[in-house]
Amino acid sequence: MTSPTEVRTRSAAARAIEARKTYGEGEAAVHALAGVTVDFPEHEFTAIMGPSGSGKSTLMQCVAGLDRLTSGAAFIGDTDISKLNKTELTLLRRDRLGFIFQQYNLIPSLTARENILLPLTLAGTKADQAWFDEIVRTVGLQERLGNLPSQLSGGQQQRVAVARALVPKPDIIFADEPTGALDSRTGTEILSFMRRAVDDTGQTIVMVTHDPHAASYANRVLFLADGQIVDEMDNPTSDRVLDRMKRFEG
Amino acid sequence: MIKLVLSSVRHNLGRYLATLVAIVAGVGFYTAVSVISDGVIDSLEGNIDDQYGNVDVAVVPDEADVVEQTGAQPEPLKVPQAAADQLAALPGVDGSAGILTAPVAFEGSDGKPFATSATGRLWITDADLNPLSVVTGDAPDAAGEVAVDQGLADDEKLKVGAELTLLTLAGPQQVELVGITEFGDSDALDTGGTVSLSEQDAFNWLNSGKQEYESFYLRASGSADDVVAAAGKATPDGFAVESGDEFRDDQREANGSFAQTLKTALQAFAVLALLVGGFVIFNTFSVIVAQRLRELAVLAAIGATPRQLKRSLRLEGLVLGLLGSVLGVVAGYLLTLALQGILALTGNELPGGISFRSANLVSGLFLGTVITVLSVMIPARRAGRTEPIEAMRAAATESADLGRARAVTALVLAALGLLGMLAGSGLATIGAGAVAFVASVFVGAPYLARVGARAARPLLERFGIEGRLAVDNSVRSPKRTATTANALLIGVFLVTLVAVAGASIRDFAIQQVNDVQSADYVVVSQGGTIDPDFVSQLKDVKDVNDVVAFERAPVTIDGAAATVSAGDVAEMAKIANLEVDKGDLADLADGTIAVLDTGDGKAPNVGGTVTVTDSRGKDAELKVVAVLAPTQDTGQTGSILDQASFDSLVGDVAPTIAFVDVASGAQGETKDAIEDLADQRPDITAQEGNALGQLIRTVFDFLIKAVTGLLLMSVLIALIGIVNTMSLSILERRRELGLLRIIGMTDKRVRRMVTLESVLIALLGTLGGMVTGLVVSLLLVLSFNRLSDATITPSIPWVELVAIMVLGVLLGVLAALLPARRSTRMEVLDAISAG
Ligand SMILES: Nc1ncnc2c1ncn2[C@@H]1O[C@H](COP(=O)(O)OP(=O)(O)OP(=O)(O)O)[C@@H](O)[C@H]1O
Ligand SMILES: [Mg+2]
Repeated sequence: MTSPTEVRTRSAAARAIEARKTYGEGEAAVHALAGVTVDFPEHEFTAIMGPSGSGKSTLMQCVAGLDRLTSGAAFIGDTDISKLNKTELTLLRRDRLGFIFQQYNLIPSLTARENILLPLTLAGTKADQAWFDEIVRTVGLQERLGNLPSQLSGGQQQRVAVARALVPKPDIIFADEPTGALDSRTGTEILSFMRRAVDDTGQTIVMVTHDPHAASYANRVLFLADGQIVDEMDNPTSDRVLDRMKRFEG
Repeated sequence: MIKLVLSSVRHNLGRYLATLVAIVAGVGFYTAVSVISDGVIDSLEGNIDDQYGNVDVAVVPDEADVVEQTGAQPEPLKVPQAAADQLAALPGVDGSAGILTAPVAFEGSDGKPFATSATGRLWITDADLNPLSVVTGDAPDAAGEVAVDQGLADDEKLKVGAELTLLTLAGPQQVELVGITEFGDSDALDTGGTVSLSEQDAFNWLNSGKQEYESFYLRASGSADDVVAAAGKATPDGFAVESGDEFRDDQREANGSFAQTLKTALQAFAVLALLVGGFVIFNTFSVIVAQRLRELAVLAAIGATPRQLKRSLRLEGLVLGLLGSVLGVVAGYLLTLALQGILALTGNELPGGISFRSANLVSGLFLGTVITVLSVMIPARRAGRTEPIEAMRAAATESADLGRARAVTALVLAALGLLGMLAGSGLATIGAGAVAFVASVFVGAPYLARVGARAARPLLERFGIEGRLAVDNSVRSPKRTATTANALLIGVFLVTLVAVAGASIRDFAIQQVNDVQSADYVVVSQGGTIDPDFVSQLKDVKDVNDVVAFERAPVTIDGAAATVSAGDVAEMAKIANLEVDKGDLADLADGTIAVLDTGDGKAPNVGGTVTVTDSRGKDAELKVVAVLAPTQDTGQTGSILDQASFDSLVGDVAPTIAFVDVASGAQGETKDAIEDLADQRPDITAQEGNALGQLIRTVFDFLIKAVTGLLLMSVLIALIGIVNTMSLSILERRRELGLLRIIGMTDKRVRRMVTLESVLIALLGTLGGMVTGLVVSLLLVLSFNRLSDATITPSIPWVELVAIMVLGVLLGVLAALLPARRSTRMEVLDAISAG
């Protein structure tokens, strides 16, 4: 790797180059991603916004190795994930990535503690106890570690998911509408945990959201429309994001 | 509606395959057993009504208890012509018939004998009393004329008018075949073929010229009771007079009781097979309903009423039940034919052959269909309860709560079951106990599944998080885990039951039979003699160590029919089973007797005297010096006299029985040689002394194998059940599986997780079935011992049990193959996509 792009990738935890994703063929083809080139810098909180169907989830999934691009390339750090096979992708996700989804984040038969530790258990490594305790304290789950997901509220479940993503100290955390199913107060709590992880420990986070308030926790907002990046905004506030979105619709 | 049903059956054929196999197996086995036991009973029972329908009064030899005790037939007394004439001339007697039979055979033009096990019969002239009727030609009424039965004529291609050589006790005879006979609807009265002879020939050739009958039947014009009373006075000692009904009942009982027991036992197996089938059908349908919940919910949403849903499922059951039953009946007949073929290979034949009766066909079809429809009832009810909303729900997750009623029911059933088996005083209570116990295992299975899975957790956790998750998943829906495991459980339970109880009973039966026999071969002449020539021929056979011949004569002892014999007692004691209960055989001298204890409690004591009367009325007072225990061998000899007393009472007669001792380990050729010798003489049969033991072993081994084979089929069906359940569970858990894969569980580990769960279910079923089987069969053996003061030692076939265990694990792995593949074929994104 001696190309000039290498210098840029060093500071990017993940990136996509001319990423295209097409569903279907011919007339019926849907271009979910129509050539997206983007960097997700290290130690930054990036939000992805855009209308429904604009390709937000697709972009995130392709960069996170959950789905494959039709053309173009996606990197996690220096690793070209299009060159990895299925098992290598799985191991990459296990060792270097964290995930938070809107729903169905947890394994119902495992306790909160076990769910948090699951990626480490799968990797066969031990958690750093002090770090585990700190995160559990931060998200306020000390009392509920022995409970099963079914015994936790939606907000508590989402905190478990955040803790699970944070504990292994992944290179990058992908979150797809993590607050979409929560009331605003609980959502705000979750977002501030994520913000603190970036500020205090230099965690890298990429978050897909519809919510301008959620986006305001990010360092930077990318705007997607019809599979392309149409705008971006540094240090967003809710109002600015809202303004920007209104302009879109207009 | 029916169109919907048919298309559904067609559409779901793959899923229904398991159900179909279950029905076919159950019905097939049921049909095969019915066909076989019908044949067995017919052949043992004979067609009593056809044969003796018009007999109003029968004069028959007093039945010596020896027959029942040992199964051996002593030489019976015969009714002399004088007595017969007196009987026939009684007032109120319309017709009479004397029965006289003896073995005969034909000799071909090449000098080779054929039809070697045919029976020569005195032709009965009274048409009403004669069980035979002439189909072609005439009745044999002149000397030198014979008639053969249709079967024999067909087999040997005999035509009316043929000149034949008949081998008889009185030597070869030139005869002319004048007629073909039949017996009711069937061809033959005697299994080996019937040769009917005219009166004079019959006396000469079958009974050394003596005008005597084995038994004598009368037809009454008026009240049979009067004739019975009158006949009593004219009947000689050693004979009993029975009314027609008594006589027929006796005949039936004598021949049929064993068959009846056998039939009951076989039918119990058959019904069991049907029940296993029903269980598997229930299980498969439950899974099918669960899998089709969405489809059913959509139907409910667009307006199908619960009744319609229920009915459509039941109709599917009906269609499948009919289809499976038809295939099953066919399979049953094929199974019987296969069985016949296998037996033929080993030189045996199915007693009674195969009869294709519509009753078997109909009952197989009916039971198969009914059981299928019944098995579908509960799943159909579940289908009827489908709510439209379930179409929208992600997956119906069953509650893990099992309810208290279930626990109470299971415990009560288990307690009743144990009580019944431990303290039951009859077959019914003990059987009910066994059923209750097994039922308790089924009802309690979800608890057992939960406990068992938890117990297995430490073991499975060694496989890592996937082992842990496998346990968790089976515990999460214990009912489903239990239903799946139950299908396997019942199969393994039955296999274990058959293996343990079957082996125990087989060993016991063989031991019992070995107790009552010991001579290697018993050679008997019926009507002829075993002359010194024949004895020396026997002695010349390779590996024959010794031949001891005995003379026998029919007598009455203190008025009861019996057999006495004389011979080299010391030699016989060496090679045969001559058991002395009391006294000493060494004391046997002129004027003394060793009396056979027939087990009726009337055996005289040592030191007492008995009066022995021979068939001509000559009698002697003899002192009892020993009492013999009834064994197969003493059953042949009867009471034993010193040679001098025998000669003075009966006169000098030739031996009619010989005991043969062969070197151990020299069975094959020796057997053939001895049997060849016996075949040369129509009157002589050679019976392997331990033949009965071997027959029992063969029959039991075959039954155990056949039943085990069929039960293994049900285990295979259970395997399909596991595949179904696992597939369903994977479908339900697709989000969870997806999530696991997203956060880093490799496909290999996901597949291992599925495999572990499947193995866990299989292990639960196998272990549960085996433990239940062991408990039930041991308790059954114990209670059998308690009731019959038999001492059956339970034989536990450890090797088989371990093999079953291994098989169980393998089944689990096998059953997981498909679902495991399916589990990783799904896209990981399924976990987070909304649908
Ligand atoms: N499996 C698929 N097959 C076909 N088309 C798909 C598939 N997945 C996504 N698409 C299409 O790709 C486009 C982008 O979808 P994507 O899920 O990325 O949108 P999104 O921006 O996340 O929308 P939302 O805000 O509603 O979640 C949409 O038009 C969608 O219909
Ligand atoms: Mg989306």
